[in-house]
Amino acid sequence: MTSTENTTQARDTTRGSYIYGIVPAGIRIPDGLDPIPHGDDAGQLGLVTEGNLAAVVSDVAADRPLGTRRDLMAHEAVLNAIAQEIPVLPMRFGAVVTDDDAVAEELLAPHQDYFVRALEQLKGHLEFRLRGDYDQDAVLSRIVEADPRIQQMREKIAGVDEDASYYDRIRLGEAISNAMDQFRADDAQACVDALSKFAVATEVKEAGGENGAVHLAFLVRTDNRSDFERAVDDLGDEWSGRVELRLIGPTAAFDFLPEFDAPDEAKA
Amino acid sequence: MQKEPQGGLAEVLDLILDKGLVIDAFVKVSLVGIELITIDARIVVASVDTYLKFAEATNRLDLHAKGGKDLGEFLGGATEGVTQGGAKGKTKGVLDAGKEKWDEVRGERQSQSRRDKA
Repeated sequence: MTSTENTTQARDTTRGSYIYGIVPAGIRIPDGLDPIPHGDDAGQLGLVTEGNLAAVVSDVAADRPLGTRRDLMAHEAVLNAIAQEIPVLPMRFGAVVTDDDAVAEELLAPHQDYFVRALEQLKGHLEFRLRGDYDQDAVLSRIVEADPRIQQMREKIAGVDEDASYYDRIRLGEAISNAMDQFRADDAQACVDALSKFAVATEVKEAGGENGAVHLAFLVRTDNRSDFERAVDDLGDEWSGRVELRLIGPTAAFDFLPEFDAPDEAKA
Repeated sequence: MQKEPQGGLAEVLDLILDKGLVIDAFVKVSLVGIELITIDARIVVASVDTYLKFAEATNRLDLHAKGGKDLGEFLGGATEGVTQGGAKGKTKGVLDAGKEKWDEVRGERQSQSRRDKA
C-alpha cells in the first residue's frame, strides 16, 4: 500500500519472507487471493524469480506465531488456486526466511536442478483426495446382521444397566470395530480397483475417525480428469446410503512430490 | 457425491503440516525461526471410548429385518432409555468439538518451535 519505508536498519528483523511454494518462472498468480495476514496490512503475494524458477511469497511478521485458522487456510488456498492451472511444489506450512534475497540465493539457486525436474514431472498432473465416511447406522446394521456372535452380544446388553454391562459393551464395541476395519480394507481396495486405472499414482491413507471409511490420494493426468471424476461419481452412486464420498481437489501435489536427495555440496 | 475444492480445516491440516517440502532441508543460513501454533488435527479417541460408542449405537439400532418382533419391540423400548442416558450426550460433545469448534479446542493446542542459529 502506501509504504513510507524507514530503511534505517540494514536488515529488517521484524519481518520475514513466507514461502508458499515453488512454480516455473513467468507465471501469473491468480487474482483475489488473500495471503497470510501481516499486521494491519493486507499484505500481498509476490514472486521471487531466479532463473527458470519462482517462489510464491508474502511478508509475515517475524514475531507473531503462525498457525491461526486463517494462516493455515491461506497457505492451502494460495497453493490450491495456483495448482488448478500450474504445476507447483508446495512447501510445508511455516517456511519463513529472512528476506527475498535468501529465497533466491539459498532456496532457488542451489537446488535448481531438483525443483526444475520435480516441476517437470508434475506438469499436466493434478492431485485429488477421496474421503468417505460410513453411514453409521447402515454399517452397524450390516455388521450385526452378518455376524450371529455380534447379534448375541447385542442381545446380552439390551436393557442391562450401563455399569453392569460395561465389559460386555466394550467387547461388543471391539468386535464391531474389528468388523469395520475389515470393511475399510475392502472398501479401500474397491477404490483402488475402480479408480487407479485413471491415475498415474495412487496412495491409500489412514481413513481416520470412528466413521472414516476410505481416504486415498490420486495423481491424475489432466487429460484423464473427466474420466476419473466420472468413475468417482459412479462409485459414489454405487455406495450411496452406505458410504458418503467426498472428492477434494484438485490440490497441489502434496502427496506426490518427487524425492529430494540432499545435493553433494551439502554432504561435503 | 460431494465435490470440494479445498476441504475443511481438518483436511487442510492433514496436508500442510505433514506434507510439502520442508524448508530446513534446503535453507540453512537464513531461516527465520517462527513459532508454529498448530492444533493437533488428529483427534485421538481412546479405543475404549470408541468401542462404547459403537456398542451404544448398535444397541440403538432398529433392526426390523431380522426375525423376532417381540424381541425388537422389547429392545426398542429398552434402548430408548439407554440412549437418553449420559453416553449419547457425551459422544455428541466430543464429535462437535472435533469437527467444528476448532477455535474452542485450541486450549489443547500444541506448540512447537523451531529456532535457527541467529
